[in-house]
Amino acid sequence: MVALAVDDVRPNETVYHVKRGTEGTALAIRDFCLWYGAAKALHEVSLTVERGLVTALIGPSGCGKSTLLRSLNRMNDLIDGLRTSGTVEFDGRDIYDPRVDVIALRKRMGMVFQKPNPFPMSIFENVVYPLRVDGVRDRRILEETVERGLKSAALWDEVKDRLHESALGMSGGQQQRLCIARAIAGDPEVLLMDEPCSALDPIATAKIEELIDDLSGRYTIIIVTHNMQQAARVSDNTAFMYLGRLIEYGETEAIFTNPKLDQTRDYVTGRFG
Amino acid sequence: MTSTSIDTARARPAAGTLARVRTTRLQAIGEPNLWALGGALAFGCVMVVGFLLLVLWNGVTTFWPRPVVVVTTTDGARLAGEPFRSEVYRPGPEVLATLDEATRRRIAAAGGLAGRDLYRTGNFDVYSEDFRWVSDYAVASTAMPSGLMFVERLEWGPFIGTIRGVTVDGRAMPELKDDPRALAAAHDVARARWRQIRHIERDLIGDVNHELEAERLNVRRVALRYGDGTPEHVAALARFAERETALQADYARLAADAQGLKETDGHTQITLAEIGGAEKTINLSAVVRMYPANDLGVAQKLGVYLSRWGEFVSDEPREANTEGGVLPAIFGTFVMTLLLVVVVAPFGVVTALYLREYARQGRLVSIVRISVNNLAGVPSIVYGVFGLGFFAYVLGGGIDSLFFPERLPNPTFGTGGILWAALTLALLTVPVVIVATEEALAAVPRSMREGSLACGASKWQTIRRIVLPRAMPGIMTGVILAMARGAGEVAPLMLVGVVKLAPDLPLDGYFPYFHLERSFMHLGFHIFDVGFQSRNSEAGKPMVFVTTLLLIGLVFAMNISAVVIRNRLKRKFAGSQF
Repeated sequence: MVALAVDDVRPNETVYHVKRGTEGTALAIRDFCLWYGAAKALHEVSLTVERGLVTALIGPSGCGKSTLLRSLNRMNDLIDGLRTSGTVEFDGRDIYDPRVDVIALRKRMGMVFQKPNPFPMSIFENVVYPLRVDGVRDRRILEETVERGLKSAALWDEVKDRLHESALGMSGGQQQRLCIARAIAGDPEVLLMDEPCSALDPIATAKIEELIDDLSGRYTIIIVTHNMQQAARVSDNTAFMYLGRLIEYGETEAIFTNPKLDQTRDYVTGRFG
Repeated sequence: MTSTSIDTARARPAAGTLARVRTTRLQAIGEPNLWALGGALAFGCVMVVGFLLLVLWNGVTTFWPRPVVVVTTTDGARLAGEPFRSEVYRPGPEVLATLDEATRRRIAAAGGLAGRDLYRTGNFDVYSEDFRWVSDYAVASTAMPSGLMFVERLEWGPFIGTIRGVTVDGRAMPELKDDPRALAAAHDVARARWRQIRHIERDLIGDVNHELEAERLNVRRVALRYGDGTPEHVAALARFAERETALQADYARLAADAQGLKETDGHTQITLAEIGGAEKTINLSAVVRMYPANDLGVAQKLGVYLSRWGEFVSDEPREANTEGGVLPAIFGTFVMTLLLVVVVAPFGVVTALYLREYARQGRLVSIVRISVNNLAGVPSIVYGVFGLGFFAYVLGGGIDSLFFPERLPNPTFGTGGILWAALTLALLTVPVVIVATEEALAAVPRSMREGSLACGASKWQTIRRIVLPRAMPGIMTGVILAMARGAGEVAPLMLVGVVKLAPDLPLDGYFPYFHLERSFMHLGFHIFDVGFQSRNSEAGKPMVFVTTLLLIGLVFAMNISAVVIRNRLKRKFAGSQF
């Protein structure tokens, strides 16, 4: 086991070898820093997320990958004493600009959480929740959304006969796919996934991974994961983070087979972390 | 160490059956504490169950008709009464001096103690007392003769004795004395007549008075608006004079009707005789209920029992609240508690929502939270004083001068009333709701809120659609606790609207039908009043138990219905997250 000392992490010396998408950049993060009170959790992170590709964030626990993900749709706003610097550009506008409408921003970014969190409502109501908060009442639109969302989440065949039963009666894997259906029901551009499979068994995990594969191309997906194999399987680009810094960001295949930095190699081969 | 003890136990299985070998320190073992914990719980349970059983037994048995015992004392006097209770007492020396030698010796042998029984003799108008103690040594004989009647009257309490004669419509009908069925029929006719008289006097004449008062207030309103002597005022006065004449005529006609009925009623009378022979003649309509106390079968006793319960829960009180029913008190308690819930639930929930969801959690919010919690510890009478001073005098006085100037100086809202009582109790119980709601809100998983926010819901939408429904069972628990506390509170109510006898219910047929400003009766205050403020506290004692039973039952019923609602909500959100 090779432990990494803090000194080994060289600030602002991220190594980049990113695979470019065909549709340009979705998100551009520049010199992004974040403090919880006095503790600095993210140190000058800079990276671009390619539109239509799957980007994985990996790194040991506490390295700031979830924090970075939650900064992208400003979920961190809920935390008292939080401060940021740097910019996160989405469609050419900094989302930390005080004039930005956070609610509108979140509508353009669906999010799936670590634990499935369906609402205590029917399956139908869960999927159309983003539409309900927009005040959509049209039965036809709602039904279309449910069908499209559940089909996209590969859940339609399993639940189409019990759409009006409680979502809490489903299995964990089904619940997580329901959450994905809910996240894409509002027709977002970006899908943020925060360890979506960590609470699921291998079969459910395989289904979700398959789903991510299907959804890539249609959505820009950013996924945080602890599972190296998963990152290798589903993503196009992988960012390795350590102690709040972005160490290496590049094409997934290269990160896992031929990383530029020893640190990255040690982590992805399981020698530390 | 542990392994050693296991080895020891293995090595000596025979000894293990006799005594367990312990090497753990005694302080580290929780079992001795378990006895204290379980004992405390058992003690609490015994207290509560014992209290409930006491109230239940006394409350349930009060209305059961008891036999009337005729006691003949050693000096030849006789008395008839229901045995009420017995006790052992120590006769004083001056009493002992009046007794003969044998009795004295017997008392001395019993350690100077003697037994005595309390008899409810009734006939207050003849004896000037309702109850009489009879010492055991003074009793020559007891008997339970048939033919003795227990007569409940509108006035003077019960009469115990025999029927001497009955007069119906001025004709003496001695045969009714021995014909219970015919007597009951005559009694029914008389009671119907009495109810009609009451209807005329209370409802119809009440209507006339109400209208007259409305007209008078109208004149006053016109005078206040346009000034005295203005053409409008003169016109109103003229109209008032006209209406007054018409209403006076109505009143005279109704009063004459009532008078006529009363005269007819006066010709149907019953003559009763107490055990000593003294006679008493009263109107048959003044008899509420009569039964031959020693000649009843179980079914008849049950009939009397149920009829008494029926009267108790559906009639108005009489005889300074010690007899009759408690309908106004039941109604007042119920309406006030409902009003309290209607006020306290939204107020408490909104406050807690702001405290928990919107306010920046800091020192100020902590101080507010501590203050709210401490509000629950303020003596309730203090709330009563505040309610009277602020709600009744300041708020109510303001409402009066703004909306009811024509009624001044008589207060409308400017005095105690059911609204002010409900508001005072709402203030008293709002900390309970706030604390419970805050806890329920805090218990809503963060993942739910984040899920909703990530869907693009605003904070308010998240609260309304996700957080509040999830927290609803917890909020309901708080409301139930507040309701239970509010329904049982008496002290502050005495200052802000509860009265001994409220002739009008808060709900009646006069516009606007629901009279929030009226004073009202309350079961809790009724208990206090009957038990400790009445002339006849001995007769009031059983009523205290019955009323207590009723109050507990009412609070219990309201809580149960709230619990049912809560459980229904809970079931809706049941199920784990996985």
